[in-house]
Formats: sequence, C-alpha cells, structure tokens
Amino acid sequence: MIFEILGEILKLTVLAGLAIAGILVILLWKKNLANKVTYLRFLVQVVTLVAVFYLFTYPIWQLIVLIVILVLPLFLGRFFCGWLCPFALYMDAITLIRKAVKVRYRLLPDKLNKFLHNFRYILLLIFLIIPFVLALLNPPSSFDLSVLLALLLSGPFEPLRILISPIIPLIVPWEGPLAISEVYFSYPYVQEVILYSELVFSEIFVTITAIIFVALTFIGSFFIRRVWCRFCPTGASIAVLNRFKGFKWAPLLHLDKDEEKCTKCGICKRVCPVQVTEVYEQKGGKINTSMCMLCTRCVEMCPYEDCLKVKMGGKTLFKSRNWLEPSTIE
Amino acid sequence: MSEKRMKSQSKEKKYVPEISKKEINELRNSVKTASEKIIAENIERMKKTAENRPKEMEYFDDIANFFGTREKELSEAKESGKKVIGYMCLFAPTELILAADAIPIRVNSGWYDTAKLGDRVVPVEVCPVVRSTIGAKMIGLSPYLELSDALISVLTCDGMTKLGEILSDYKHVWAMTIPRVKDSDQSLRFWNDEIKSMKSQIEDLTGNKINRKKLKSAIELTQKATKAFRRLQEIRKGAPVIMGRDAMLVNQTYMWDDITRWTEKTEALCDELEEMARKKLWACPPDTPRVMITGTPMLWPDNWKLPTLIEEGTPQGVLVADELCSSERLLYDPVGVDEWSMNDMFKAIGERYLMASTCPCFTSKDGNEDRINWLLNKIKEWNIQGVIYYVVRGCMLYAMEYTRVKKVLDDINVPVYYLDTEYTREDVGQMKTRVEAFLEMLTARIDL
Repeated sequence: MIFEILGEILKLTVLAGLAIAGILVILLWKKNLANKVTYLRFLVQVVTLVAVFYLFTYPIWQLIVLIVILVLPLFLGRFFCGWLCPFALYMDAITLIRKAVKVRYRLLPDKLNKFLHNFRYILLLIFLIIPFVLALLNPPSSFDLSVLLALLLSGPFEPLRILISPIIPLIVPWEGPLAISEVYFSYPYVQEVILYSELVFSEIFVTITAIIFVALTFIGSFFIRRVWCRFCPTGASIAVLNRFKGFKWAPLLHLDKDEEKCTKCGICKRVCPVQVTEVYEQKGGKINTSMCMLCTRCVEMCPYEDCLKVKMGGKTLFKSRNWLEPSTIE
Repeated sequence: MSEKRMKSQSKEKKYVPEISKKEINELRNSVKTASEKIIAENIERMKKTAENRPKEMEYFDDIANFFGTREKELSEAKESGKKVIGYMCLFAPTELILAADAIPIRVNSGWYDTAKLGDRVVPVEVCPVVRSTIGAKMIGLSPYLELSDALISVLTCDGMTKLGEILSDYKHVWAMTIPRVKDSDQSLRFWNDEIKSMKSQIEDLTGNKINRKKLKSAIELTQKATKAFRRLQEIRKGAPVIMGRDAMLVNQTYMWDDITRWTEKTEALCDELEEMARKKLWACPPDTPRVMITGTPMLWPDNWKLPTLIEEGTPQGVLVADELCSSERLLYDPVGVDEWSMNDMFKAIGERYLMASTCPCFTSKDGNEDRINWLLNKIKEWNIQGVIYYVVRGCMLYAMEYTRVKKVLDDINVPVYYLDTEYTREDVGQMKTRVEAFLEMLTARIDL
C-alpha cells in the first residue's frame, strides 16, 4: 500500500516536472515563439503522451479528455493532429531517424494526396461496417451495436485501433467500462467481446495483422512524412466541420496569410509534412483547408515577416518572421 | 575543360568584329581613365549630399572602385588556383559556386561609353545593359568580366539570352534555361534539373566536388548575407538615416565583393546606422519626400544619374526602397531549407531563384501578381510617397508592365512617374527637369 502511494506520488511528480519544464520552455521562447516551434511541438507531444497514459488510469480524466478531444476540434481545427496525437509523435520520431541516416523523403503526387484526403471518409465508413459484417457471419450471444463497436476495437483488428485512437480508451478501456457514480460513459460488454473474439479468431491472426500494420506504418512514415495523417479517419472526424460552408467560422484557431507580403517563394508548400498546397495557393486571408494540421512548420519557415500568422479568434498567437539565422539543426 | 576554353578563345568570332589590339588598348585606357574619374566623382557627390555619412561607408567606397582592391584580390585568388565564375542575372545559383570554392561575380556593366561600342555588334534598339556589357568585353574593360573563368548566362529576357551567346566569342558560357511560368510544377522540375546539371558543370571546371557539408555552409553564408541585407533595408523604414544612393551602393557591392567580408561590413554599417538613428542624426531632413525606384537594373558606376538627380535635386527626395534586380532584389529572398539533405537543399535553391523572383520576364497563373504585391508591400511598410518607374530604352518587359503597375498604384493614390532614358549623359538636363517636377509635386502633396 505504502509503495503504491509512493509510486503515485512519483508519477505525479514526473508529470508535474514535465509540465513545468514545458511551460518554462514556452516562456523562454515566447519572445521568438515561431523560432523554435518544432522543438516546442515535439515537447508538447511527449508531454501529452505521458499525460494521456497517466490520466487514462482515472475515469474522471477520461471523461475530460473525451470532451477535450471531441469538442475542441470543432474550434481548434486539427490542432490535435499536429500537436497532441501520440501516433504523430511516433511518425515524427521515425522522421528524426530518417534525418539522422540522411535519407531523403518522398512526396506523394498532389492528386493522390487529395484523393487520400477524401478517401478517409470512405475508410472510416468501411471500418465502421466491418463489425456488422463480422457479427452477421458469427452472431454473438448478445447482439448489440456497442458490442459490434467493441468487437471492432478489441477484436482481430485491434492494431487498427489507431484509426480512431484518441477516443479508443473511452470506448474500450482496458480496465472495463468507464463509469462515474454508476453512470456509464463507455460501451459495456467489453469483456464478453474480448472473450468472443478470442474464440472466433486464432491468436496468430491477430499477431500477423499487428505485425503487418506496424511494418507498414514504419516503412510508410520513414519515406513519407506523416503518411498516416493524410488519410487518418480520426483527422477526418475532427476536421469535418471545416468542410461545410456554414461553418467556415468554426475553426477559431487557423492560419492567416498576408497576400502583399507573400512572394510565393514556395517554402510553405515544400516544408509542409502533409503536402498542403492551400497555404501556398490561396491569395490571402484565412486559410480554409481540412488537410492542415496546424503543425505551424510553414509559419516557422516562412522568411517574410508577418506574412503567415497563427490566429486564435482575432488574436495573433504567433507569426512568421525574418528567421535567417542559419539553422543548426541537421 | 581548360583546353576546350582555349579552343573557343582562339576560334573565329561569330558576332564580334575584329578590332586591332592598338585600338582596343587606346579605347580601354581612355574609358578606364574616364571611369575612374566618374567613380571618384560619384562617391564625392554622395559624400557631399549626406549630412551625416556613416564612417563604415568608407569600406564600400573603396570596394566600389572597379580598378582597385577587389581586382587585386581576385587576381591573387586566381593565381592561388581559385576559379572565378561570372553570372549575368541574379538567377545564377551562387550557392553552388560558393560550395565549389569558386568566387561568384556578377558581370553586368553600367558603363555609358561601352554601350556605344556595343553598337558595333548589336543595333541601338537593344537594351543598353546588354550593349554596354558587350562593349566592356570588347575592350576588356571590366576586370571582373576579364577574370572570370566561365560565365553563367540565365536565359531570362531576350537581351540576356543573346548576350550569353555573343560573349561566348570570348568566354566559356553556360546557358541555363529558366522557365517563363514560375509557379507550375513542371517548370520547377525543369529548373531543378538545370540546377543539377549546373552543379556538375561547376564541379568539372573547379575540380571540387560539391558535397553536403560544403553546400550547407555555402547556403548559410548567403543566409547570413541576406540577414545583413534585410537588416539594412529594415533600417531604411524609419526616418532617412542613410541616403538611398549609399544603400544602393552597399547592395550593389555584394555583386562582386567577398561574401563573408561584405556581410561583416554590412552588419557593422547597420550597427552604426542604428546608433545614429538613436542619436537622431539624419542623412537628410526627415520630411524629405520618400521615393522608390522600380524597373530596369541600375548599375554602378555610370548609370547612377537617376538616384543622383533625385537626391541632389531641389526639392530633394530620398530613396528609401527600390525594386531593382541590381539592388534590393539581389538578396531579399533566402534559401529556406527544411532538411539539410542534398535533395532538399537543391530544391530550396531552385525555388529561391525561380519562384520567389519578381522579374517581369516571368508570368504566372495570376500574371506576375508577385511584383505588384512586392510594390504594395514596400509602399506601405516603407511609407513611400512616390514611385519612379525607370525604364531604359529597349527594356521591353519592364515597359510593358507599366500600365498594370500604374493602375494598381493609382488605386491606392500613390503617384507614379514613368521615366525612360538611355545609357547616355546627354539627357541629364531634361531628366533633371522631369524629376524635379515630380519631386515638387510630391512635396506639395505632403504639405497638403
């Protein structure tokens, strides 16, 4: 008991330390925030990863994170994808390895990239249909929509959980259904489903899917920056509002471009990890695209002062500047 | 390679008529003496105009002399085995030249007298920058043109295209085709290939391999230079602490100076200027009309008449910005590298030269809108009160874009004055009247 409490205290201290370190770094760089935004983002990603793993052991936190993940994107756009997603951190880490071994990245053709962008809605649909098909093939004892979802997420396609990763722990928490004061927030029957899928599918099948998935994502993101983000259905669900006309106001956090200061040098287009072309192509003003993850790499690299800005509501959070300090990053 | 060049030098000249050595020597000596006088006179007048001239300008005055320090340095460097590579348009990838341990030098010439000599090769209707460069080569006047081992000719406007061809009578010329549509993918692909082939040509000539490390440090050199360069332009946003001609000279010396030293000296100059601004030591009264020049490149030493007329006129004007490829466009755009791999560095170099440029030889999906945006930005940020649209006779591309620029500037109520001239001293009198009338009008507008 005493060791458990000590362990909890230790975990909390580590988390608090990381958070404080993050805030300190932000303060240090606040003067020139755009200067080191890539590092800052990396740090935020690591902190989130640790925080998510830690927080998800408590039901109340899960609820808060669920609300954060589901509601904020309506206003923050795909900020989550760029700054918080653990899978993005995984891909960024692979990119770092690629940079270290000095292999050049490959680009997807723009048309394919745009196709993938739309394809992810179909992908999302497919993955939502799969459990129904499975259930029809092997009817479970208690037939229920939530069972089907749980089947998808903890069954043979478990590695594909990453598709809707941020909301996974809420739908299928490892510790069982999420309940606060006996109010259920996530799907029940998890235990039954896990049991069921173990009966239907052999262990080897699950292992093979997992290996294939890991190998594919590793190779893919080694050669293509942020390959998953281009067709990630989670990203689609987050940015779906941005695509509709009446909701152009919805992304409060957005990129803004000053037409007169832009010389169309193309840097923003080249440095974008998901090959967004709208920042380059649009004339000026608010940049409307659901492909942008707001990773702000373009803002960091834009060499014209005040040309690109990250705006929240009407307020400028940070903007491009004369960087022109020869970079020391390899 | 050197053998080949020897051959090309000894072979019959395709364009240029044979001139006797005696005539060449006579002409060179007379033009050189005249030119030395003009350089000294121009600097003297610049010193006189500026009320508080920064001390750091002395270095640039010295380096501005074509027949002085820099020539000696270059011939010494050549003796030690370094190669000098000349280029005619700012689209030549100087980073590659620097990475191959060679010295990049821009060789366009601004001598009025040699323009007349160029008439023997090409008709008078041709752009005088081209004629003057041909003339300078005919009599071997420009030390930089003489010392260069090879020339990079980027096929931008018609004049530059043929200039490279004509100069190949004397020198080894590498032509680089630049696409005319600057914002399409296929153009960029083509231009990137051109840069890659230029890399191997430079490697062949210099015998130095361009590797990742060298290219990286070369890019960093130009980035540092850009930083210093932009800092100088930023300082000019405020009340005039430096005369426009002085700043133009600083910008222009970049074309032939050693890049590291130029960066250091420019930073030092900026330090001094900032100090002067703090003490409110202005170069001319702060309410002097702020003028901007756009148009044909204006080259030291002879083609200095328009800035001189503006800054020495009554009423006086002050140049605070320009859109000339001989001055502010030289270094405004940096090479922005994402990952320091060879692949990405080449892409970055390609994009910096092709996509960021506002040269009127390009068009794009929206019709060279970049240039308009550049002008609007400059006018707003630098608080410009009047624009002089400077075109030399024969510069079709700039002349043809005038109506577009005029329309836009009329919309924001900034007066723009079209001034066409030639490489000649004869029209200084009538130009003075025209420029002063424009400045008068600007002063009246400010008083209102």
